[in-house]
Amino acid sequence: MRRFIQKSYMGLVFGFLYLPIAYLIFFSFNSGKSKVIFSGFSFKNYVNLFQDEQIMQALLNTLIIAAISSVVATILGTMAAIGIQRLRKLPRNAIMNITYMPVLNPDIITGVSMMLFFSVLGISLGYGTVLLAHITFNIPYVILAISPKLRQMDVSVYEAAMDLGASPTVAFRKAILPQIMPGIISGFMMALTLSVDDFVVTFFLKGVEVETLATVIYTTTKTRINLSMNALCGVMVIVVLIILIIANLPAKQNAKKREE
Amino acid sequence: MKKHLIAVPYYVWAVVFIAVPLLMIGYCAFTDASGAFTLENIQQITKYWPVMLRSLLYAAVATACCLVIGYLLAYCMAQQSERTKTVLMILLMLPMWISFVLRTQAMQDLLDLVQNWLKAAGIDLQVRNNALAVVLGLIYNYLPFMVLPIYTSLEKLDKRVIEAAEDLGANRFNVFRKVILPLTMPGVGSGIIMVFVPTISTFVVSEKLGGAKFNLIGNVIQEQFLQVYNPNVGAAISLVMLVLILFILIIFSFLDDETKEGLL
Amino acid sequence: MKNIIELQNIHVSFDGETILDHFNLNIRDKEFVTLLGPSGCGKTTSLRAIAGFVQPQAGKVLFEGKDITKLPPHKRQVNTVFQRYALFSHYNVFENIAFGLRISKTPEKEIKERVHEMLALVNLKGFENRNVAQLSGGQQQRVAIARALVNNPKVLLLDEPLAALDLKLRKGMQNELLRIQRQMGITFVYVTHDQEEALTMSDTVVVMKDGLIQQIGTPEDIYNEPTNPFVADFIGESNILPGTMLKDYLVEFEGVEFPCVDAGFGENVAVDVVVRPEDIKIREPEEEALHGVVETVTFKGVHYEMMVRSANYLWKIHSITCREPGTKIGMKIIPEYIHIMAKEAGTAN
Repeated sequence: MRRFIQKSYMGLVFGFLYLPIAYLIFFSFNSGKSKVIFSGFSFKNYVNLFQDEQIMQALLNTLIIAAISSVVATILGTMAAIGIQRLRKLPRNAIMNITYMPVLNPDIITGVSMMLFFSVLGISLGYGTVLLAHITFNIPYVILAISPKLRQMDVSVYEAAMDLGASPTVAFRKAILPQIMPGIISGFMMALTLSVDDFVVTFFLKGVEVETLATVIYTTTKTRINLSMNALCGVMVIVVLIILIIANLPAKQNAKKREE
Repeated sequence: MKKHLIAVPYYVWAVVFIAVPLLMIGYCAFTDASGAFTLENIQQITKYWPVMLRSLLYAAVATACCLVIGYLLAYCMAQQSERTKTVLMILLMLPMWISFVLRTQAMQDLLDLVQNWLKAAGIDLQVRNNALAVVLGLIYNYLPFMVLPIYTSLEKLDKRVIEAAEDLGANRFNVFRKVILPLTMPGVGSGIIMVFVPTISTFVVSEKLGGAKFNLIGNVIQEQFLQVYNPNVGAAISLVMLVLILFILIIFSFLDDETKEGLL
Repeated sequence: MKNIIELQNIHVSFDGETILDHFNLNIRDKEFVTLLGPSGCGKTTSLRAIAGFVQPQAGKVLFEGKDITKLPPHKRQVNTVFQRYALFSHYNVFENIAFGLRISKTPEKEIKERVHEMLALVNLKGFENRNVAQLSGGQQQRVAIARALVNNPKVLLLDEPLAALDLKLRKGMQNELLRIQRQMGITFVYVTHDQEEALTMSDTVVVMKDGLIQQIGTPEDIYNEPTNPFVADFIGESNILPGTMLKDYLVEFEGVEFPCVDAGFGENVAVDVVVRPEDIKIREPEEEALHGVVETVTFKGVHYEMMVRSANYLWKIHSITCREPGTKIGMKIIPEYIHIMAKEAGTAN
């Protein structure tokens, strides 16, 4: 009975989460132009989606911005995390408080503040400002992913490596880097995700000529009915589902190993 | 080579791109277009009290609903077998990865469909462009962000502590009230922050589901910066929103007392 | 003495793997019983069956003669001291101990009295407002014991309670647990894999392996009269070697006849012979019929441990006198120190 109530509740809530998406995807197969009346089954919205130059350009922009910003953020963030760890308490707290700002602030504040900053400096908005903003909100997540790993790290391994004749640089590469690698990777993945997903910050900093997927969705859905957006949702669900399943496969195997 | 120097590039970056822009909000809030000191922007805010109050109310209601629905969901999920948990986690995270603009659009389309049905049935009822639709959209968008941290803290819970409570005579209800709930407060705290902050600052959800009549503070900021182009008033409103959020953070961060280095 | 707990024909298996195989055990009132065995022998599972955390697929759990098999843990009059304590990290020491009393809606005044009584019992006076995370392992252990005992259980279940403590602290806590048990006058069911702990603390030791009871008895019985090679090997160190019971009171092993105190095996029956390492005396080779050559010598602090090779067996001998490796020695074993076990199908190796 208890099990049944639990299952029904979960069904209900997940139903609530998936009904709108399912509806959107269902109409992506509509051969007509309406979002309410289903006139027949067709793939034409998907064909249109991939032939829409604006959307494809936005997709490319999204991927480029995400790739560059997360790589830069991961490098800067890793260096920062290592350096911050060596600071004394007071300056460390000060810098960590600044680091938390983009995490805790709503996106709109991050966007607006940087927009003000660039306009005061007279820098025109565009690709560059979007990139700078993405790096800025990505770095804190990288630092927050690596810091705990650095704290848990076994320092004696670093000393052991030097004791065995490794130079500090080699010792860092061979002893410390492997230990914090999981943190670096998860920080990088986080940055990638946040960057691809971001709408608000980009919206304030893109100016007129740059569009990412999120901003294209916003402007397109605002102005006209376009079932390409429904198709886009369908593609997104498939892509994300594949990524999530792949990401969860090793976790499953690890869990099995741990049980044994 | 001094090791801590490795972080210097980031310090510069953080000061230039995080600290200075934020200070800029404060600066602009108290100056006019020519850069002279003024309190006019702050005084103008009084016009927006209703909007702020509405934002606060909607965000509070949405967060509370997410908390209740989300805690129950996380609790149910944590009871499942390992296999089911993995599947449920994927199901929970999938919507989080789909652009929230698209998800909001999906909600709008669905409500429009309901509207059509109602019209066909001869019922004259406004489904969209009202407070309920906005709050529903907020819950729909941010529910997973509440579930995730609570679920994580439930998973971290030591099963033996629950057994210890049962062993000491606590029934299911008491185990929940006296052990599970207090031990998952950190998750609840971060869940509340993760839902409240985006809900009070949103402008997309209110725009798509509330129409023009149910503006939130985020819409006002967006207007001031991108349409009216009065960044000084925009900055003043942003400042008020920041204070509001800071207030909420202070209230709820004590729930999450896990080592947040340097926070506040 | 009456039985306070009876486990009747308990069968437990997880994922097709049998943990307890039709397990029977009676525990008498006010007894200190220890379930002893290697990890995976089912000792913790039997404890959890008594506490109610494991629902057996078959069999019954009786408490004072009443069937409590289906009773949930919170309705049982037993309390548990968990492995690694399982304290409530969100409560201080006082609230941890008061937990059970608050659940049973005990008046505030009585809670105060009882908690302070318990703090005195476990030597933690003045610690009531401490955060449990700040306590040492030994102190956390005391809180866990007080938290269980404050509810006046008739039986206290202890699941390897000292495993996480260091050796010195463990010795101290062993004495303290014994004192508490005497003082409270209740039954303790204690689970451990440490044979020394089991032998020093218990009234009764239950040796388990693979979900089956190997032997039940007083510590002396278990040590001196192990019923099978597993028990002999698990409890203390032993030389276990094949021999032949020639007739009552006469056994032959390693080609030498020894008088012994055992009888009733029949004539010319293959048996296992157990001799403890400290029960073998070193003599000159010409004085004894059983000879061997010393292979290795290790100093163990209070004695030397020597490995001595005879015709077909490598002996372990503990002695305060030392012989260099390569020395030929004679070994003297008096009849009282020779323990004969019947060969068992499956267990002998």
